[in-house]
Amino acid sequence: MSSANDYKSHFNAVAAFVLGELRQDEQAAITYSAESSHFMRFNNAKIRQSGAVEQSFVQVKMYRGPKTWLFALGLSGILADDENLLAEAIGQARMTMSLLPDDPYQVVPEATDTSDASYTGKLLAEAEIPAKVLGPAEGMDFTGIFSQGVICRGAANSAGARHWFATHTFLVDYSAWLANGKGVKSSYAGRDWSDAEYATKLAVTRSSLENLTKPETVLKPGKYRAFVTADALNEVVTFFSWNGFGERSLQQGTSAYLALREGRETLSDKFTLSQDFSLGVEPAFNDAGETAPDKLVVVEKGRLVNTIVSSRTAKQYGVASNKAGEDEGMRSVAIAAGDLPEADALKALGTGIYVSNFHYLNWSDPASARITGMTRFACLWVENGSIVGPIKDMRWDESLYNMLGAKLEAVTKERHLQVENMTYEQRAVGGSLLPGILVDGLNFTL
Amino acid sequence: MQHDLQRLLEAASAAVPGAQWVGLRKRRSTTTMFFARDAAFEQAAVEESAGVMVEVLYNGQFSYAATADLSPAAVARAAASALASAKAAENRGVFNFDSTVRPATKIQWETARKLKAPVAADSICDYLVKACNTLKVSDKVIQTIATASFGRYDYELVSTNGANIEQTLHFHGVGLQAVARDGTIVQKRTANGPWALIHQQGPELFDFDNLLLKARTVGEEAVELLSAEPCPTDTRTLVLAPDQMMLQIHESVGHPLELDRILGDERNYAGSSFVKLSDFGKFQYGSKLMNISFDPTLSGELASYGADEIGNKAEKQLLVENGILVRGLGSLESQKRSGVAGVANQRASSWNRPPADRMANLNLEPGTTAFKDLIAGIEKGVFMQANRSWSIDDYRNKFQFGCEYGQLIENGKLTKTVRDPNYRGISSTFWRNLSAVGDKDSFQAFGTPNCGKCEPNQVMFVGHASPVCAFDDVEVFGGGK
Repeated sequence: MSSANDYKSHFNAVAAFVLGELRQDEQAAITYSAESSHFMRFNNAKIRQSGAVEQSFVQVKMYRGPKTWLFALGLSGILADDENLLAEAIGQARMTMSLLPDDPYQVVPEATDTSDASYTGKLLAEAEIPAKVLGPAEGMDFTGIFSQGVICRGAANSAGARHWFATHTFLVDYSAWLANGKGVKSSYAGRDWSDAEYATKLAVTRSSLENLTKPETVLKPGKYRAFVTADALNEVVTFFSWNGFGERSLQQGTSAYLALREGRETLSDKFTLSQDFSLGVEPAFNDAGETAPDKLVVVEKGRLVNTIVSSRTAKQYGVASNKAGEDEGMRSVAIAAGDLPEADALKALGTGIYVSNFHYLNWSDPASARITGMTRFACLWVENGSIVGPIKDMRWDESLYNMLGAKLEAVTKERHLQVENMTYEQRAVGGSLLPGILVDGLNFTL
Repeated sequence: MQHDLQRLLEAASAAVPGAQWVGLRKRRSTTTMFFARDAAFEQAAVEESAGVMVEVLYNGQFSYAATADLSPAAVARAAASALASAKAAENRGVFNFDSTVRPATKIQWETARKLKAPVAADSICDYLVKACNTLKVSDKVIQTIATASFGRYDYELVSTNGANIEQTLHFHGVGLQAVARDGTIVQKRTANGPWALIHQQGPELFDFDNLLLKARTVGEEAVELLSAEPCPTDTRTLVLAPDQMMLQIHESVGHPLELDRILGDERNYAGSSFVKLSDFGKFQYGSKLMNISFDPTLSGELASYGADEIGNKAEKQLLVENGILVRGLGSLESQKRSGVAGVANQRASSWNRPPADRMANLNLEPGTTAFKDLIAGIEKGVFMQANRSWSIDDYRNKFQFGCEYGQLIENGKLTKTVRDPNYRGISSTFWRNLSAVGDKDSFQAFGTPNCGKCEPNQVMFVGHASPVCAFDDVEVFGGGK
């Protein structure tokens, strides 16, 4: 398996080659990603699929005058082969760029920032993965995936920026199930594997399953008090980026927060939302080699105070960039803590639904920031602060102007780091720091 | 190319003498896209990737290792890594497989295309800018987007039991979007939904004159929606256009019929299914008008192929026949595990992810009712077009979907346009209320390039074709806080 140092050398060589091939009238922004990962997928505490993936990719945005062209290549790791591949792609870029219209909002790379962050870890030996992960889960209907290995990100540009980020991580993303079809979702993630910490996680899971052996409560559609855990709230984080707080989407009318921007709607003064790279889960540099500020408050006590702005949007609309990526998605999302102790959550809920997880959310009416979704996993019916038992999963449909606005009753003191678990094309980096919230009158519909 | 892969197979096999079976699955993918916004060119990009997944069977357990280094030495190392994974998993597998789930198929297959030579970049960009200008039918249109993409996927598969497969999939896609605003009302309209106009075709799909006509309609309908009444909130007959039937089939038929979901593999991520293994052969999934086919042989539809990625030869199969569930969306592996009849659908997003049960082309077979007759038979209904929102539970039961454009049906006629049309229901109840199925004249195929599933995650091309359909007694509603 390739090491972080192997990948760093590869990145440096690839960046040097691309920059060395540029002509005087050309500029480039280069991003690099690589990983060496083990995966083991399991169902009912048995192995469904297992294996390893080694891969590296480079993306080069080339500029010549007002023309721009981007190419992204999978690399072999063999430098001579990769140089041939890159040379061919640069040649193709030169031919194609001459056919393209000018890009009126082109921003050539100017950043000269540098950074270098590498995190080592204590990961499992490949041969011991099945026993270490599945052994302690024996007796449970245990389903999910284990992944581990090194993840790397790099960025460089023709102005002199150079960034490197490497981290060794593992993740057991799992759920445990009862014969009645009820399940509990959890995860164990970090850089240093600990048998004891993992055993503690599993013990909590086993304990949580006991609540699900109680009779199921079938609720009628209606408005219910709901305590939304940090795990469930994590599903809402997507909606701060997708038709969200990106400046371009606000300028162009596709954001669901137009009414907030224009003062027609408000959020609760208990709700404060930031982008906070001090979480340490992902690098602050973007594809152009620009470094975002460590912290950017987006919503402060219910008021929109900043948006996510790329340099391209800054040029187009004459606003200041805060070094976002071109997609203007929020990174390293943090929601401020409140004053409700988690230990008092059930008491504060009184009678209502304890929402452990949400599932498959989507905008049901973007103009009114309305989202629909489902409850999932161990969602519980609570009466007078005591757990009655699991609910039959319910659909809900609610405006964020309600959920995070007038209906937001309390925010917990404690916050939980939600590590990014997506593995589309490659293992993602990132995460969120989130509290639980108490909502009075969440609208359940089916 | 097969010569190269056979040489790599020899290197891999030599590195794992104890393996029962070794297979190599190579993929090369190239996608080019162009994007214009508000009549200004914004981005052009090409993405390429190539690599190989070595798969090893050892004592009943398949394991894999994927690498982009296509040298014999690297592939041999990958084979050794896969064998080590299989040995580590020994006696812990969900099933004791054998090589019969890796057929020795020999096939060559390529997308049928009318035209083959690519369109020049300047012609595409010229069209995109014109399309944006055409979408902007009035000052009320505040954003326009036009996109074009094309690419090819080259698949090769060889194995120690004699599989030898070469497939090349060519695709082209276009997108058109207009956002209109009047006061506090904002409406978005696209051409058949945000990603639906993607097909396995050649450059003939880039019929720019016709696309510009479509762009004008999209822009006009975005503006029309600004003055439309909200969709009513009540229960009535719902008529869905093929560009929404695509989503309805995908979410409430396709995913629940995936055997790996029913077997529990997806419970931690994408979810399970309300369908049980014991339902096959007897479960009344829908009304007698419901005939769902798995058809990777339909020319032009996005997920057509000659064989799946474990080498199972693709054939058309009915999954739901006259409303009865008869077959699952399950690969040879899932068929062995479940004992349920399946299809050739073990597919992977690329060389770096292992294949699993996926939809391909999943279609609703046409009926006999002409569109005008279908509408004429409805006293009170709503006709919805183009998907805007989608959400369904992890058992694929309770869904809520939204569309871009609605029209009321009153006394057998299409009348007023309505905005923000949504509907919700429960899958099998909904399909049992299927009351009319359009004929071949309304049958249309669309693509879904972004179906997500599996751990590690994979996003996949699927296709859906359907005629216009009517469903009785559906809860419909509009927008608002």
